[in-house]
Amino acid sequence: MNKYITASLLLLGCIAYIFLSNDTGSARVFVNLITFAGVYGLAAIGINVHFGWTGLLNFGHAAFMGIGAYTTVLLIPHSLGREGVIISTGLPLPIAIIFGLIASALLGLLLGLPTLRLRGDYLAIVTIAAAEIFRLLVRDFENLTGGVYGIIQFSDSLQVYRPNFVDVISTKYDVSSAQLWVAILTWISIVLVIIILSRLQKSPWGRALRAVREDEDAVRALGKNAVWLKLQSFMLGAAIGGLSGIFLVFNYGTVQASTFVPVLTFYIWAALILGGVGSLGGPALGAIIFWVIIAGTDSISRLLFESPDGQQLAGVRFVIVGLLIMLFMIFRPSGILGKKEELLLDVK
Amino acid sequence: MIEQLGNGLLLGVIIALGSVALSLLYGVTRIVNFAHGEIIALGAVMTLFFSSSPDSSLLFFDRYSPIGINFFGSIVISIILCGIFGASLEIFLFRPLRKNNFGNIAVLVVTIGLSIFLRHIYLLFASAKPSSFILELQRREDYFGIQLTPRNVQVLVLGFIVMILVGLFLTYTKTGKAMRAVRDSSDLASVTGINSDYIILVTWIFSSMLAGFTGIIQGVINNVRWNMGFLILLLIFAGTVLGGIGTSFGAMFGGFVIGVLVQLSVGLEFMDGHTEAKNALALGLMILILLIRPQGIFGTKDRIS
Repeated sequence: MNKYITASLLLLGCIAYIFLSNDTGSARVFVNLITFAGVYGLAAIGINVHFGWTGLLNFGHAAFMGIGAYTTVLLIPHSLGREGVIISTGLPLPIAIIFGLIASALLGLLLGLPTLRLRGDYLAIVTIAAAEIFRLLVRDFENLTGGVYGIIQFSDSLQVYRPNFVDVISTKYDVSSAQLWVAILTWISIVLVIIILSRLQKSPWGRALRAVREDEDAVRALGKNAVWLKLQSFMLGAAIGGLSGIFLVFNYGTVQASTFVPVLTFYIWAALILGGVGSLGGPALGAIIFWVIIAGTDSISRLLFESPDGQQLAGVRFVIVGLLIMLFMIFRPSGILGKKEELLLDVK
Repeated sequence: MIEQLGNGLLLGVIIALGSVALSLLYGVTRIVNFAHGEIIALGAVMTLFFSSSPDSSLLFFDRYSPIGINFFGSIVISIILCGIFGASLEIFLFRPLRKNNFGNIAVLVVTIGLSIFLRHIYLLFASAKPSSFILELQRREDYFGIQLTPRNVQVLVLGFIVMILVGLFLTYTKTGKAMRAVRDSSDLASVTGINSDYIILVTWIFSSMLAGFTGIIQGVINNVRWNMGFLILLLIFAGTVLGGIGTSFGAMFGGFVIGVLVQLSVGLEFMDGHTEAKNALALGLMILILLIRPQGIFGTKDRIS
């Protein structure tokens, strides 16, 4: 129970930090942070299904997020590329989202098939390569994806569903109503996904998955298809990643080649390791704390450099992300909320 | 297509050297070192730092004064520093992890963190813009139908000599044989009296020096930038997988093939206007190899499952 007290205190500390460090517009900062934390938390839950449940190393989550987002956005009305070609017809958003999730899961199947029979580190190499391929192809095939010019004017499909109370709240606290709506939807999805996952975890399927992680040979000996179980888990996590990617682009209101860069994956890993691998709520908590730390690093940059430019801000941020991943993995691999027995650190 | 062959040979040598260093370290320690690219970049960044004089107004070190010593002297110093850096990584980071029975997966995540950390340290100390070593400009000349500058020919020859030396070292010296013994079976190696901690330390030093050298020739051929190691790392992975992860000569061969193929693909008709996609092609090839022959061309089956 002790770790839940730590977690709550940390969460309170984070919220206090946001409101104390910003005199004006703290509500705006809060909504912005909570939106990003939600998106990253959802993505981290996806990686957690891979790594925490099944022991699969996925370092290409940006590709799963990206393919889900691009598929969805291309299926709804949008405006594309350098000339801003307007495509005014499209599917209704919920159906487009379903296609987006299917696309992410299919990419998972495609990458999983050659690698899941091999040792774990091959998957790490292949997924990191897939994220790079995805980025290069998105950049290169401008007719389809808009390339570096990207896709714009698609957020109306989501904002038409915005209920009135969101506007009431946003005018009262002077925050962006569009972003608040994305934040609410993201956190509702997180709760729903966690409920579904906790049911799945207790189901026979979830237990078989844990057994695969603990001892693959034993599962095989019992007549279960371990590779197929791993593939299913890989596709599930990929689809969750796709959902978070969709929310990410609706938060930005645009999507370009630079939205889903490979480093995005490392941010999400840092959030996951902070919150706790293997725990259900850990990734979401980790994402909140992570974003508060990122906000805090900018003040470290100001201590180190007189007037930090964008390059120095990014540099300090990532130095700290790298350190966080290393130190937590070495000294507290179970993060804030994880269980040590759920982690297989001695996997060879 | 033939006009790309010169560039292909150059990239091939870079990736072959990088692959053999990565593969050797993997073979002996079972660590998939994602920070390998950053050690490659360290060699180049250090050489640039030592060889440029403070008044040469480099873009790269716009905040820190470079030192300005002889170019070949700086290469030697940088390679030695890379070796020392590799040794300290092993002594202060990876050896304690090994003694505490950290699994390969956990160590892999640690190397990812290390790679992000180091890369952005370079970014903080340098500029985001690429920069070149201070060397005289040379015109391309014709060598048997391949267009190359004289310096690039020297680099090419030097690269091949180093590869041959690495091969001789692994095949004929006592340390090289011990490395291969630990790679094949560390238990059997310890039974015959090989000190595996010592061999792993030597492997880290050797692999890091080789990586530093790779970075320097990459810097001579192209340019020096803070993320050069990360960009080349994925191609090195592709080369290593093609040749067989854990093999030395296989990795050399695979790396060379990947480098040449990546450059030659620029000349293909359907690649016209898609120059960025050449790396995607190499990475796609790697995934394809994993599908049909996961142990690579020269690998053995027991290394992969």
